[in-house]
Amino acid sequence: MEQTDTYLIRPNHQHKFKPAIVKECVREIVRERLSGVQFDPDNVSQLTCSLADCVKDKVKNAGLDKYKLIVQVVIGEQRGQGVKISSRCSWDADTDNYAEEVYMNDSLFCVVAVFGSYYY
Amino acid sequence: MHSDKEEEPTDVRRRGGESIERRYRDPEKEARREREKLRERERRDADKQDRYTERKKEGSQDRRGDKEKDRRDERDREKKRERDRLVDESKYGDDDRENRDRRRDREEKHERERDKERHRDREDRDRERRREERDREHRSERERRRHEVIEEGREEKVEKYYREKRDRHPERERHKNSRGDERNDKEIQERHGDRKHSEQREEREYKEEHRKSKEERERRHKERGHHDEKRKNGSESRERRDSKEPGEEVRRHRGDRERADKERRHREEDEGERKHKERRHREEDEGERKHKERRHREEDEGERKHKERRHREEEKDAEKKHRDQRHKEEEDIVRNHQDRTHPKKSSSDKSQRPERTTVETEVVNEHLPDQEYEDDFEDYEEDFEEMDESANEGEDEKEPEAGEEREELTPQRRKEIEAIQRAMDEENERVGTAQSRESVGREEEDGLKWSKASEKNQSRASQRGKFIDFVAAKKREVSKKVATKQQKRSTELLRLIDLDFSMTFSHLDLLPVNEYDMYIRSFGTANTKQAYVQWNEDNADRDIQTEEIETCETWTQHPPEHNGACGDANLPQEARNKTMSELNFDSQRLTSFLRSASQVMVVLLEEDQAERKSLRKLETQTDALSFSDGSLQLNTKLSFLYGRQVSLVHFSRVQRHTMMSVHMATTEPSAVRLDSCTMICIWNIWEPSRPQKILVYESEVQCCCFSPGKATLVFAGTSVGSVVLWDLREPASDHHRLKIGEDEWTFRQPTFSTDAVMAGSGHLSSVTSVEVVPSAVAGGLRAEVPLLASEEESSGLSFQLASLDESGVLNFWVVVELPKGNEAGSPTDLGLRPGGKVKLLHSSSLLTAERVSPRDAVKTRPLQTLILRFLPTDSNHFFIGTNMGLVNHGTSHGLKAPPKCYSFQEVGVRPVDVNSIHFSPFRQHLFLVGCGNGSIRLHAFSHEQPVAEWRDATGGEAVVSLQWAQTRPTVFCVLDAASNLHIWDLLKNDTQPVATERMNADRVTAMAVFGDSGQQNTYSGIALAHESGKIEMQYFKRNFTASCSGEEEKLESMMTEAF
Repeated sequence: MEQTDTYLIRPNHQHKFKPAIVKECVREIVRERLSGVQFDPDNVSQLTCSLADCVKDKVKNAGLDKYKLIVQVVIGEQRGQGVKISSRCSWDADTDNYAEEVYMNDSLFCVVAVFGSYYY
Repeated sequence: MHSDKEEEPTDVRRRGGESIERRYRDPEKEARREREKLRERERRDADKQDRYTERKKEGSQDRRGDKEKDRRDERDREKKRERDRLVDESKYGDDDRENRDRRRDREEKHERERDKERHRDREDRDRERRREERDREHRSERERRRHEVIEEGREEKVEKYYREKRDRHPERERHKNSRGDERNDKEIQERHGDRKHSEQREEREYKEEHRKSKEERERRHKERGHHDEKRKNGSESRERRDSKEPGEEVRRHRGDRERADKERRHREEDEGERKHKERRHREEDEGERKHKERRHREEDEGERKHKERRHREEEKDAEKKHRDQRHKEEEDIVRNHQDRTHPKKSSSDKSQRPERTTVETEVVNEHLPDQEYEDDFEDYEEDFEEMDESANEGEDEKEPEAGEEREELTPQRRKEIEAIQRAMDEENERVGTAQSRESVGREEEDGLKWSKASEKNQSRASQRGKFIDFVAAKKREVSKKVATKQQKRSTELLRLIDLDFSMTFSHLDLLPVNEYDMYIRSFGTANTKQAYVQWNEDNADRDIQTEEIETCETWTQHPPEHNGACGDANLPQEARNKTMSELNFDSQRLTSFLRSASQVMVVLLEEDQAERKSLRKLETQTDALSFSDGSLQLNTKLSFLYGRQVSLVHFSRVQRHTMMSVHMATTEPSAVRLDSCTMICIWNIWEPSRPQKILVYESEVQCCCFSPGKATLVFAGTSVGSVVLWDLREPASDHHRLKIGEDEWTFRQPTFSTDAVMAGSGHLSSVTSVEVVPSAVAGGLRAEVPLLASEEESSGLSFQLASLDESGVLNFWVVVELPKGNEAGSPTDLGLRPGGKVKLLHSSSLLTAERVSPRDAVKTRPLQTLILRFLPTDSNHFFIGTNMGLVNHGTSHGLKAPPKCYSFQEVGVRPVDVNSIHFSPFRQHLFLVGCGNGSIRLHAFSHEQPVAEWRDATGGEAVVSLQWAQTRPTVFCVLDAASNLHIWDLLKNDTQPVATERMNADRVTAMAVFGDSGQQNTYSGIALAHESGKIEMQYFKRNFTASCSGEEEKLESMMTEAF
């Protein structure tokens, strides 16, 4: 039984987390879902969740089989305030990556960050 | 933040779900199987058998099948179910899954309604039931060996002989089931006809019925066995629980009662079973099929012991049950009926079961019509748990009937129960926590490798929140395994992977909008409307447009350097240069213009002022002087001029408004220490208020003259025999200044003096006359006034000066202008004043007195040369007046020209001084000679004899000064020593003066005629220097100024007459 386990510690190139592709996915979704949307504090949490799910589903289908995905969606109202959002990761830089997309309209801003962590 | 963590639970659920499915499949499958039996028995019998055997031989499926069988066998033993069902199960897998999902939902609802105790009770009961069933089988079979076989079959289902044994009764079972099913179908359809899930429910009903039948059987066993002993205890515990949940009371009561009967056994059995299962799990996880059998055997032995003991107990129980049965008959007809059938062999049991089930269901329906639906759900749940608690629900429904028995449970039993419950609670909690970990871990494992049985148990526990002791233990085991596996994996992986901190990704950095922007954004458009703003491109028809802007480049510079003060970048370079040169030229011209213009302006102002001042005086003087048209007095009332007699007055021949007056030294002491000095004042007659320059010399000045051209140099001959010159251009700062009163005066010392410097070549006697040697050019251009400095400079200062002393020595000097003055003084030119730039160079010397005949000299005193004049048109000819009444004619170079001298009309030499010689400005070969005896002669250049001679013209008074008028050729003025001024007009009267003025009040000591025959302003006058030092400018009347025709002809005629 104690056979040596083999691990695939690097994704194939075509299965790598490519920020550009993911970003494009995210952009499509965000554009589609948020264009012309006004900030509504009652619905925004729901919107955020659904947006995150949507993004997650879409990105999952993009061939990132061996990746665990973390989708972070921040939607905030634009009232002239200053906003700074940043993140930091402890990860394997060879395999893991992230993509982000910022969408803004008159009443809200939306920051979607998708972190892909390779599942060895 | 929405993370993919969701995914994990989902996966867990999914995989757990699989296990659940697998777990649940069995009960459902059973239900289906039953249905299947109804539907498909006929066509499938043969196939099923084949398929089953095939599958059994396949590894993983076999394993699953084994597990399923494990559970199934428990029931099978009682029901004698066919092995075929396993086959069915595979066919209905998909349907089952759907159903299971739905059921899960329902289960969750039910879970909420139930508390743990009940679960445990039920589980306990299940186990009891199972055991009882087994017992029953044992009892019915009464064959030890066979019993063992059954046990093994239940545990492993792998043993073929057991299968075969079961296979022996397929037909019987099928028959039995079909009967039950048919009936059940009807009932179910009645109940759930219009419901969506009728199918499922049908299945559930089937299961229910199965369970009920089992439970009934068991209950009857129990009742029979323990009815008398334990009824009281059960009732007490039941009552206590009743107060909590009346709705579920019934079920629990029954459970309690059963539990009370069999708890001890349950525990033993539970543990045994748990061990078995755990062992089994392990075996199955590792895929060690080969070892299974051995272990099974061991387990079986273990179990066998248990079972033996249990058998023994159960045998007793059975006896009791038999007894109970009789009791219960009174209470429950149905149960009695079953009880009666129960002691029969398992084969007969099974055949009877459907009947019983039907009855029970009916009973339930009667008793609990409201609960029916709920019960259904519970049934479903229990279906999933069938392995452990297949009989639970069925019993539940019997609870109302069993109510009386509960009261018979003893207090000791109750304590026992409670202790067990507590223990189980603890264990469940442990499992609960372990499970959550497991679930995560398990997800990552290959789900398929997991023992289905354990998964089923775990997931069931997690799903329903029901915790079963052995399940929990199993879970712990599994979780431990999973954990170790995870650990191993992670350690192996961590060696290969480097985790590092990423950069800090800045997703969004939005600067705050400043207040103004915010304001504009929110309110800026509220009340305003954007008007048109447009720039040149698309000339929309609104009025805001811009025009082309014309630009040009110019520059300016101050102070102007190199290229001038301003310019235009567009102009070509030549043009610029041209502008520049013009500019320079202009600036030079401007300077000179300003210099002269300022003088003019000052003159005009002075004139104006003087006119006003002297207007009244003019009136009176006009009366006094017959020829005067008005007079102007120069301001000689200056402290330094006080008491000085004016010895000479002289006008520049070129600058006719420039006049100099020589003031002799005075004996009267004055404030100024210049008393012993001769002062020469340079006047501008238009500016009479003050002298232009003041020149100072230590000794008496005998004669003086201006430089030719512009009056920039003043020459003087002194009584000490020196010739001095003043450069009037020298700056005032170079000279001694003296502040007298309010005004500051500059007293200029001579620029150059021949004093003692040129002793050898200079004059040894007093200089009687200095005269500029007129150059031909200068003479020709005399009328021209060189006003501009540039012209003057261009003409240069190079000219000759002649000086004559009393002894007749005529010296010629060259006036040299040095390019640059030496402030420190010149080491070579000792006569030059430091800083002076003009000096005299001795040119030549002539002795003119030798020509006087010795005869004449004997007769008279030694010859004195008194006056020197040059012929204006030819500088070679000079005329020297002597004290012998003769004017000697000489030439500076070349042949001597006749006449030798000019004498009186009568021959002879008389000791008469020639005091004055003056050439006519109009007829330059004519000159007048005034003599000390008062006679006046008019000579022509070419003749020794005079043209005319007027003796006693002055009444015997010596002629002091005699001058032609500047504007009329025939008019001349004569001043005699008696201070009489005679004005002759030869045109009117050629024998006597036309006007004679006697000025006795203040004697006139010197006189000079001035005038200018300029086109626009013809004026002429006479400057009279009085004894008192006063200088008067008398303007001639019109008749003496304006020239009239025939004047020159008159002169010509006179000459013709004379010769």
